[in-house]
Amino acid sequence: MVFLSRAQVVTALAAVLLVLVVLDLVRRRRLSEEYSLLWVVSTVIVAILGFSTPLLRALTHALGILYEASTVFFFGLGFATAMLLFLSLKLSRLGTEHLILTRELAFLRLEVERLRAAQGHPDRGNA
Amino acid sequence: MVEHDVLVIIPALDEEDSLPATLERVRRAAPWADLLVVDDGSEDATAELARARGVPVLRHAVNLGVGAALQTGFRYAVERGYAIGVQLDADGQHDPVELEALVDPVRQGRCDVTIGSRYITRTAYRTPRLRRLGMLLFSAVVWLAVRQRIADTTSGYRAYGRRAMEVCARDFPRDFPDAPLLIALARRGFGFLEVPVQMREREAGRSFYTFGKSLYYPYKNMLASLMALLRTPTDEERRP
Repeated sequence: MVFLSRAQVVTALAAVLLVLVVLDLVRRRRLSEEYSLLWVVSTVIVAILGFSTPLLRALTHALGILYEASTVFFFGLGFATAMLLFLSLKLSRLGTEHLILTRELAFLRLEVERLRAAQGHPDRGNA
Repeated sequence: MVEHDVLVIIPALDEEDSLPATLERVRRAAPWADLLVVDDGSEDATAELARARGVPVLRHAVNLGVGAALQTGFRYAVERGYAIGVQLDADGQHDPVELEALVDPVRQGRCDVTIGSRYITRTAYRTPRLRRLGMLLFSAVVWLAVRQRIADTTSGYRAYGRRAMEVCARDFPRDFPDAPLLIALARRGFGFLEVPVQMREREAGRSFYTFGKSLYYPYKNMLASLMALLRTPTDEERRP
């Protein structure tokens, strides 16, 4: 296997290590399968590019990039951007769901207070 | 539980110092209206003080933002069949004596939403300069977007008719219910009327608008105004 630089070796090995860490996190149920997908796909692609010099060269040439390492960073950055956008979307949705739940809780609480008051419950209105 | 057809919605965040006086004043000035306090995650005795005065309280377990608090109030009003909902600040800025002037145009069908405005006539209320500039800007934005001249887009003293409340209960800005809301409502066919009101300086407590928010505010409201203009209202959102 021919490597162009030490940086390529380091990047490729780091990508493999990251895949293993991500998979282990899924195994330990710290990371859900859903969130692991983009991580696994991106690190596997970076690892493939790192280990397969002919493919990396061809891709670098096709994209008109001058330096092979830049191609790896290009894909890495692309995936990082996609991940951040994905997380922002998830956060926005979580924010909306959080609002709905908080509101629902407020309505239920008032309803409980009213029912208690109607039954003459002694500790009505305690927050 | 519904005694009257007007609901005064008071969003409150840590307002234990001024809320009791505000509630008293509203009761005295508008015995023809019901009250609701939406406690937006206060850490003080805001909710207890309101409950102790027999005012129903919807309490958010965590802070969601002033817009979310109002929306909670609108949903309550719609579910309980109120014809008109008025938003009024807990901090004593809004004089309840003006409630009738705010409610009447909606009741008479002259508009869907009345806005208690500080700037139609000269009032005692003094605004910080930068904030004033922002208000002029968003006044212009609203005018450009929907050709309605609204001097006080940030006024938190407004009355909403039933249809407007139904729409607001479904879709409402979470943080600043100002220019983008007015644009969205105008796009859906709702009409406004500005009513001159006196406003006082806040009595106690802190404002919803902190320094950090004052930097975010122009960006958010500009973007949200543009989006309100670009969104085509669905049929059920439109005023019949």
